[in-house]
Amino acid sequence: MSGPADLRVSAVIPVRDGERYLEELLEALAREGVDEVLVIDSGSRDRSLQIARAAGVELLEIDPREFGHGRTRNLGAARTGGELICFLTQDATPLPGWLDAYREAFALDPKVGAAYGPHLPRPDTSPMIARELQEFFAGFSPDGRGGGAVIQRAGDPSFLSNVNACYARACWEEIGGFRELPYSEDQAFGADLLAAGWAKVYHPSAAVLHAHDYGPVEFMRRYFDEYRGLHESTGHVEPFGVLAGARAVRRAVAGDRRWMIERGLDAPARARWTARAAVHHGSRRVFSALGSRAERVPAPLRKRLSLEGRDEAHNGRARAPSSPPASLPAPTHIPKMRDHDGYDVAVRVWREGPASLLDPVPGMAERERLRIAMIVPSFRRGSGGHGTLMQILTRLERRGHVCSVWLHDFTGQHREEWPGVIRADMNDFFVPMRGPLYKGFDEWQGADVAIATGWQTVHPALMLDQCRARVYLVNDHEPDFYSASTERVLAQDTYRHDLHCIAASPWLRDLLIERYDAPADAFQLGVDHAVYAPLDGVSRQRDTVVYYARHATPRRAVPIGLMALAELHRRRPETRIVLFGDPGKPHSEFPYEHHGVLSPPQLARLYNEATVGLCLSLTNFSLMPKEMLACGLPCVELAGVSAESIFGADGPLELAPLEPHAIADSLQGLLEDRTRWEQRSRAGIEFVASHTWDHAAREVEAGLRHALRERERAIDEGAAPRLSKEGVR
Amino acid sequence: MNPIRSAPTGLDNGQSLAEVQAENERLRSRITTLEEELVETQARANAAVARWQERAYWLDRWHVDLNALMRRRGAAEFRAGLRAFRAVTRLLRRTARRLRS
Repeated sequence: MSGPADLRVSAVIPVRDGERYLEELLEALAREGVDEVLVIDSGSRDRSLQIARAAGVELLEIDPREFGHGRTRNLGAARTGGELICFLTQDATPLPGWLDAYREAFALDPKVGAAYGPHLPRPDTSPMIARELQEFFAGFSPDGRGGGAVIQRAGDPSFLSNVNACYARACWEEIGGFRELPYSEDQAFGADLLAAGWAKVYHPSAAVLHAHDYGPVEFMRRYFDEYRGLHESTGHVEPFGVLAGARAVRRAVAGDRRWMIERGLDAPARARWTARAAVHHGSRRVFSALGSRAERVPAPLRKRLSLEGRDEAHNGRARAPSSPPASLPAPTHIPKMRDHDGYDVAVRVWREGPASLLDPVPGMAERERLRIAMIVPSFRRGSGGHGTLMQILTRLERRGHVCSVWLHDFTGQHREEWPGVIRADMNDFFVPMRGPLYKGFDEWQGADVAIATGWQTVHPALMLDQCRARVYLVNDHEPDFYSASTERVLAQDTYRHDLHCIAASPWLRDLLIERYDAPADAFQLGVDHAVYAPLDGVSRQRDTVVYYARHATPRRAVPIGLMALAELHRRRPETRIVLFGDPGKPHSEFPYEHHGVLSPPQLARLYNEATVGLCLSLTNFSLMPKEMLACGLPCVELAGVSAESIFGADGPLELAPLEPHAIADSLQGLLEDRTRWEQRSRAGIEFVASHTWDHAAREVEAGLRHALRERERAIDEGAAPRLSKEGVR
Repeated sequence: MNPIRSAPTGLDNGQSLAEVQAENERLRSRITTLEEELVETQARANAAVARWQERAYWLDRWHVDLNALMRRRGAAEFRAGLRAFRAVTRLLRRTARRLRS
């Protein structure tokens, strides 16, 4: 039996007005040693026929009306005799080594039915197309760069392109040839081939020079045609969303700009191509989405949108000749990219262990000024946790400590922002700080105490060197924010590295000690009494319940809260119900007023107008009820979670179990019993009077000094620092 | 044991206990001074960076790196042109002032 090196190779090239590259294509085929070349011309009016005749290749002329991408190629395959059949388009020029690469591909496995190679840009190809081609084909290689040949089997991408492909005749015959589709006959064949148990090979050395470069309008119409064809062959419907589309266009244009910079294009050329790229990618999103929904576009418009002037459209797979097996939609190949290394750093901690701490200096815990580095996760306006952190940090600054903030952009949210902007935003959104903000840790300078502030920041903090102690300011038990997931596992892991925890309530401190055996102190969240206080000139309205219905945060138990309010409404239809804290408006069984997200002064106004507040928390106690109490507004919270650790079982808060009727009872009691309401209101104001941010900062400072002292003690005793529950109380 | 607290006694080298204690005290005092200097240096560095971040806000907002900009081809010539233009306008203004006075 003959091997692939002995197989006879035929090349089939459908042509119409292809004089521009046809000559160099036929020369390349002669150079590569193709045994048989067939040019099928469908009505060229340029020199194509002349070029083909001059090259001495076989020429077949067909009526343009008989042309079909699948039909004409099937005709070419039937008219040639090679065991391997190569299909090329008239503007694809094989590069040296092209045919050897195909022979090599078919030698890899007897079940290889087809092979294809990359399309490389020509020197004058636009940057958008050149980059796209490069990244698209690089995606087929395991290393994302080129590498060697790759065998693809069922379950792998079905991509196949007759711009540059080679087929085993046995496979072509078994599959029954190409389907007669207006477009994407190659993609359909790729899917059919894999489903039939054949394999295909991507070989990076089977390369051709080829790129479709059109004007902007032609590109739009071409994409319309391509995606209509894709929909008809595979059923693919291109997703479309305005915001997601805008983001994708922005990313694509940024990618093009990076590509241009890497290749040294000068500024004017970059500016010109950036504008073209924006139009190109934007119109591509729109026209590909339209094309894959072409059957819903009116026929006359469809004809005008099509580069081929075709007005018919068919629903996905409607024209398949038989009932072939289901095929996968065309894959989207994603180039290698790294948005952030948040998960990697945790794995590095597991593998390498944390960076060593500096030896303590005697008396450092008592030194007046400490060098404090606070590591914070990504933030948005209104982030409650960041509000707390900045309240504390700015007060530590005022107490003379040398503070800096280090942003660990775990989510990549601040990727495009430079540090000056991030710092200005932080100062605008929260309490303005005096110190600098660094993005990432490239300029890390060491600190007496590095403070991690959220689960995402703990592992990076553990890798920072030149620290005397590491502290973890714990706002909440964050593993409870996630169901079973990597995030939950990593969040739990943060408590197991002996960071000295300073928890935002005694309940949370006890939980950290009992569940994780973590060394922990506690501090009490403060209230900004300049904002949250009884306001002159705002009269309290009767029968108004305000509810912090932040349903985007599952730990707020909003479904239970809504059921409680529905029950209250059933009992007291006249009660006015106001929801706030989330831009979304939840469905409810009762009418309500909705305020969305409010600023602190607006919240203070709302709390001064209302009769009763409702705020539920399934994890650590939050600021919201304290701020309500500071405004003289009695508040209902959940019993049996964390509130008792601050307010006691019968303190200023009205506590109710997690049961709608019980919560409704508590709300009703406060609305109807004036004596009880006044008692709660007065007790609330008195209770939170001492809960200030200054006090909270002092408690945190004590925790920092405690951590430093523990370091000294541990070194003196030659043991790792451990704190007993009793020891830290 | 803490290497600082358990510094070698030096008694083997013929020093008296009092001398060793005095030496330890001197070293501790030196460490305290160095620590204070470190804190002070860090405070100044932080203040300088924060001040610069405030001043450079719009450059950061518009992603302008002036050093990179001025390293580009033609930037030096452009700057020289501006300086020449400024010199000429200053000369003209000065001349006009003189003529008016």
